[in-house]
Amino acid sequence: MKLFEATHTFFYKWSQVSAANWRKYPNDNCPHVVAIDVLDRHVDPETGVLRTERLITCHQNIPGMLNKLCGGCTVTYSREVSEIDPQNKVLKMTSCNLSMNHLINVTETVTYTVDPTNSSRTLFKQEARIKCGESISKFAGYIENFFIQRFRDNSVQGRQGFENVLDRLMG
Amino acid sequence: MSQSIGAQCNDLKKEYDTCFNKWYSEKFLKGDLRPECEELFEKYRACVLNAIKQKQIDKLLVEARKDDPFTSTSGK
Repeated sequence: MKLFEATHTFFYKWSQVSAANWRKYPNDNCPHVVAIDVLDRHVDPETGVLRTERLITCHQNIPGMLNKLCGGCTVTYSREVSEIDPQNKVLKMTSCNLSMNHLINVTETVTYTVDPTNSSRTLFKQEARIKCGESISKFAGYIENFFIQRFRDNSVQGRQGFENVLDRLMG
Repeated sequence: MSQSIGAQCNDLKKEYDTCFNKWYSEKFLKGDLRPECEELFEKYRACVLNAIKQKQIDKLLVEARKDDPFTSTSGK
């Protein structure tokens, strides 16, 4: 199992960031995200939390060995469940790969919270856990390292892309 | 605005997303939790569910929901 973590501070209010989060894609920095669909959504009447289930469609090359195992797939799907608590100002999103999940499990958790030292800023925290299945455990090191590197690259691009979206929407 | 997995759903998605984004900023974040855009969502959703069935992603979603169900109480 490999872990990837990143943090960032956005110089925008939580309300602005959480609204822009729904409009993060498309952006030029993340051309691999080709489609986003809402599958289900509701506000919990007791807690006031907005829950959303989305399907994320990505188009990205994967390493040769995995590509062979999954039969030449370049389109991958992930399921994302998000919860937004407007009272406590917390946005939490967890996504998990639907494709190839018998081979590898990639779970990403992202949170956006108000910066306790400056309420006009928003703290971003990202964590990804990557775990290979038994059938490919021999190559686990190679494959997990590939996905960690992929996450690192996509994380930087995603953050930059989101900064651009925020500047465009709020600027 | 992002694309839908089903090209035929793009117009419905755009209408729904526009309605939702407005509701999110102008109502939800200001404490008005009453849902809007329901009718647009049902139309868009029906289209998407059809598209994911054709691409056989529906079965993958059923499996994923076994581990992490999507209900109004599971987040507690």
